[in-house]
Amino acid sequence: MISVKKVNNRPLNFLERIYLPEIARGLAVTMRHFFVNLFNPSGMPTVQYPEQTRPLPGNANLRTRHRLKVRADGSPKCVACFMCQTACPAYCIHIEAAEYAENSVEKYPAVFDIDLSRCVMCGMCVEACPEDAIAMDTREIPGGALHRGEMLMNKEGLLRNLPGEPSTLGASNRLANEYLEGKK
Amino acid sequence: MIEFYEANKDILLFSGAAAVKVLLFLGGVMSFTALLTLAERKVSALMQDRVGPNRASVFGLALNGLFHPIADAIKMILKEDFVPGKAEKLLFTLAPFFALVPVLALFAFIPFGDYVMVFGYQLELQIAEVPLALFYVLALSGLAIYGVFLGGWASKNNFALLGALRGAAQMVSYEVVLGLTLVGLMMIYGTAGLQDLVRAQGALLFGFVPAWGVVVQPVAFILFLIAAIAENKRTPFDLVEGESEIIGYFMEYSSMRFAAFMFSEFVEIILVAMLAATLFFGGWQVPYLYDTGFILPGGKALALNHYIVAALQVGSFSVKTVFFSWFLLVVRWTLPRFRFDQLMGLCWKALLPLALLNILVTGAVLLALGKIR
Repeated sequence: MISVKKVNNRPLNFLERIYLPEIARGLAVTMRHFFVNLFNPSGMPTVQYPEQTRPLPGNANLRTRHRLKVRADGSPKCVACFMCQTACPAYCIHIEAAEYAENSVEKYPAVFDIDLSRCVMCGMCVEACPEDAIAMDTREIPGGALHRGEMLMNKEGLLRNLPGEPSTLGASNRLANEYLEGKK
Repeated sequence: MIEFYEANKDILLFSGAAAVKVLLFLGGVMSFTALLTLAERKVSALMQDRVGPNRASVFGLALNGLFHPIADAIKMILKEDFVPGKAEKLLFTLAPFFALVPVLALFAFIPFGDYVMVFGYQLELQIAEVPLALFYVLALSGLAIYGVFLGGWASKNNFALLGALRGAAQMVSYEVVLGLTLVGLMMIYGTAGLQDLVRAQGALLFGFVPAWGVVVQPVAFILFLIAAIAENKRTPFDLVEGESEIIGYFMEYSSMRFAAFMFSEFVEIILVAMLAATLFFGGWQVPYLYDTGFILPGGKALALNHYIVAALQVGSFSVKTVFFSWFLLVVRWTLPRFRFDQLMGLCWKALLPLALLNILVTGAVLLALGKIR
């Protein structure tokens, strides 16, 4: 059922047709905004962005700059499976895999670059990751830069744990860790 | 040398005074124009709850956007000066001059003060004293059509030509209304010189109301304002440019040639503001201020030095100009654009009959009061 909104197009009365009173009403609106903002500039919603920022909403949908999680022993959780690189619609992730010398069954990323100037902040990489190694919860918003190189993040810049991490247990995500804690 | 000076004293003094007046007045107008480009962006921003430009800075000092006109000028100068291959080169080059020169020439007739005594000479604060200045104003503002039309035609671009055609039709039509609204003023004050017109507006009606044009000709003022905004080609009459549809007669222009068109538009804002102040709001007149000082209707008087009086009068003219420039900006950012048929209908079916009726009523009233026979 399509809802129909009936617009009451009544014919204009004489005062509206000669337009001048309506111009005065329109001017009153714009001039009110002008003077209110002139004498109370802090009342405007504009934020001078790079210098000022708004508090971010703390909900789970928030996607901010990426980070790579770190295990308790300091190694990256990432196993260089290329899932995020494959999922990325903007082709902004570049991974080069390597193997641990002492543990040849597990890979690690020798190179993990994210080009923030191409990233569309869609969060597909986070959803694709089987190891929960990449996250977008640093609460930092990638801003502008004067050179393209400044927008390129490498592995060293991405590896970071938030307070409370990492778990000392082996599993890759917090729920699994809680499960393991309960088993003990 | 001295003999030459003595023999040609009058003409030398006149030329020197005129040169100084041109430099001061036109310099003031030009710098105000530059500030107006910033004011347009700031006023529109404040009306839309935005902050507006405030980032251009010199040594980290932004002064809330005061350097943006300079940044704009540098950008305009550095851009490529492009001439389309099929364009009519000579006219394409001349068109920006045709747009800018008549508008700047018009400032010669606008009195920005009464007079000042300098070393015993009475210096009129008006660049050119022309007895029929009102007709000169109309004639020169008519010349501005050439800039629009040549620019559009010489570009050899269909959209530019469309804008130019609209511009010519619009400006010719509103020129008629503009001229007719001023007839009532000439009938009442009995003069067509702008300085005389302003002096006549210093009289008092009924002993306490200043005889400003807006008091004796309120309808003419509204018609004049509408026609002047249309002459100025700004919203709600900006079909000449029509940036969402045809982009206008200066579509093929870039760099400083484009800037000349933009600049002439902003100079015209000041011109319209000055004309509105001069013709309808007493020009440099301050109510109850005379040569010797304030004389209030009750009979109380406050004697003032001649130079203070002159400064007050020039200041009054500046304040009126700034106010009307601001008002024109607010109008431009409030009203939506007319359709072209509405624009023409408004001119020929509404404004023109009203202007003629205004002349008729003015004549009838003057006849009834016995001012004319």
